[in-house]
Amino acid sequence: MDAALLEQMLLGALLALSVYLPLRCGQLSLATPGFYAVGGYVAALLSTGVPAFAGSGATSPLPALLAEMVLGGALAGLIALAIGGPVLRLRGIYLAIATIALVEILRVLNLNLPFTGGAMGIFGIPQPFAHAEGYVLFTLALLALACWLCQRLEALRLGRAMAAIRDDELAAACVGIDTPRTKLIAFVASAVLAGVTGALAAHFFNSWNARAGSFDASITTLAFVVFGGSRLWPGPVLGGLVLTALPELLRPVGDLRLILFGAVILLGPLFFPQGLVTAERLHWLAARLGRGRHRGRQAPQAP
Amino acid sequence: MNQTPDGTGPVPLLQVEAVSCRFGGLLALDQVSLALEEGEIFGLIGPNGAGKTTLFNVISGLTPPSGGRCLWRGAPTTGLGASGLNRLGIARTFQNLRLFESLSVRENVLVGLHHAARAPLLGSLLGSGAFRRQQGQLQERVMELLTLLELEALAEQRAGDLPYGDRRRLEIARALATAPRLLLLDEPAAGMNPAEKDDLRRLIGTIRQHFTLTVLIIEHHVPLMMQLCDRLAVLNFGRRIALGSPAEVRTDPRVIEAYLGGRP
Repeated sequence: MDAALLEQMLLGALLALSVYLPLRCGQLSLATPGFYAVGGYVAALLSTGVPAFAGSGATSPLPALLAEMVLGGALAGLIALAIGGPVLRLRGIYLAIATIALVEILRVLNLNLPFTGGAMGIFGIPQPFAHAEGYVLFTLALLALACWLCQRLEALRLGRAMAAIRDDELAAACVGIDTPRTKLIAFVASAVLAGVTGALAAHFFNSWNARAGSFDASITTLAFVVFGGSRLWPGPVLGGLVLTALPELLRPVGDLRLILFGAVILLGPLFFPQGLVTAERLHWLAARLGRGRHRGRQAPQAP
Repeated sequence: MNQTPDGTGPVPLLQVEAVSCRFGGLLALDQVSLALEEGEIFGLIGPNGAGKTTLFNVISGLTPPSGGRCLWRGAPTTGLGASGLNRLGIARTFQNLRLFESLSVRENVLVGLHHAARAPLLGSLLGSGAFRRQQGQLQERVMELLTLLELEALAEQRAGDLPYGDRRRLEIARALATAPRLLLLDEPAAGMNPAEKDDLRRLIGTIRQHFTLTVLIIEHHVPLMMQLCDRLAVLNFGRRIALGSPAEVRTDPRVIEAYLGGRP
């Protein structure tokens, strides 16, 4: 597998985690690509417009990339914070529609603002890494950090409050959970992760335009989570990796690949309504691996 | 200490002042007033559709009243919302059970300890010593509550998989975890057999002692309520038609009429 495809898969996994965070507290937000686009524009504008960010050598400086990721994540987070209050009053499919509208508003703004380069977008974005392998290692570290945070959330008061809201928002309020605030935290965290990912992606793709955050992208990122599962973080990660790779791996079959891709998205939820990754399957896998490792010994009982 | 301005007596824990609740053309509550004294078990009875659950929803902040207000230790609770009222000290259960079904029994109670679980974010993320000690204390507290409600053997079961009676008790455990001063129980004995109802009566007595709680309880089973409650209020068509000790309420002609139908 070539490094460029691997990098796209890792970016897909990060975006899938961004969709997963609000879903952990039952909020279906499709705004991820909008925040991803915002983060990408922050990186593109800074690294092409500000000499300190572009650097002078063959590759742009790494601290500049980190600063862009922080700023891109911060701007996306601020937008989410500003609109989250009213938007998160909506529930279910209405929230999904409102977040699609947000993605569209951001897309039209990105097309028409005087400094975002119109339909062509911004290109010639400097490269912090000379090879795709550099991106892969860096993104892998970022993904590991994101996964670790999602895993730690399980043990945290915030993570339990999110799960409670997902199961029953009204009952959650009745045990003293500030439900609007908890939902807002999840929404902002999702936006920050998407913004950070966008800032990194803008460098990797070398150019950035309004197509990064489109309705199509909303549906694709949603498919990551539907396919992989939305209950546990390994689900979206797997969905993001597989569904990003699939169209490329199916390239040899020509136009038939689009039909096959569609069939996977259609059949996945039919046969795996919870997504591929569920607690039961993870326990089964852990038991199998355990048995393989200590042959002859009793496999540890899944909790 | 807690005196009314004119010094006539202690301030009630909760006052419901002329609360009305209108849903479109339906007047679900019509100028209902009550006052709960600290430590009592107060029963709310009445035929189906009398507005009992609506009154619970108003008291617990889920439904804003169309008129009137509630006072907690003399201070209005208007606009606090369900989570704010829980933090004041009001916890409730639901008539049709609202557990966090995908979470385990233990986790359901742990969610109830939300406010006891406050911890600095960085320490929590990195699993600092202070965070782990706090987690240990929380788990101990959870097990105490589960033991009290006789659920300790089911701690790791998914709440959604529990049989009916266990779910009822788990909801009470979760409500108690929020350290309430006032516990609202909405038909806790619904669907229970006589033996289970007896157990429940003893349990409510125990938890009142154990937590020095005030209990407001809705229940259809009148004999149970007569035994359990210090005072009773009767609602019919959204109005409070009687209030007093079980003996007074039992012989009130308006109560008999509401339950048995009026003479033509």
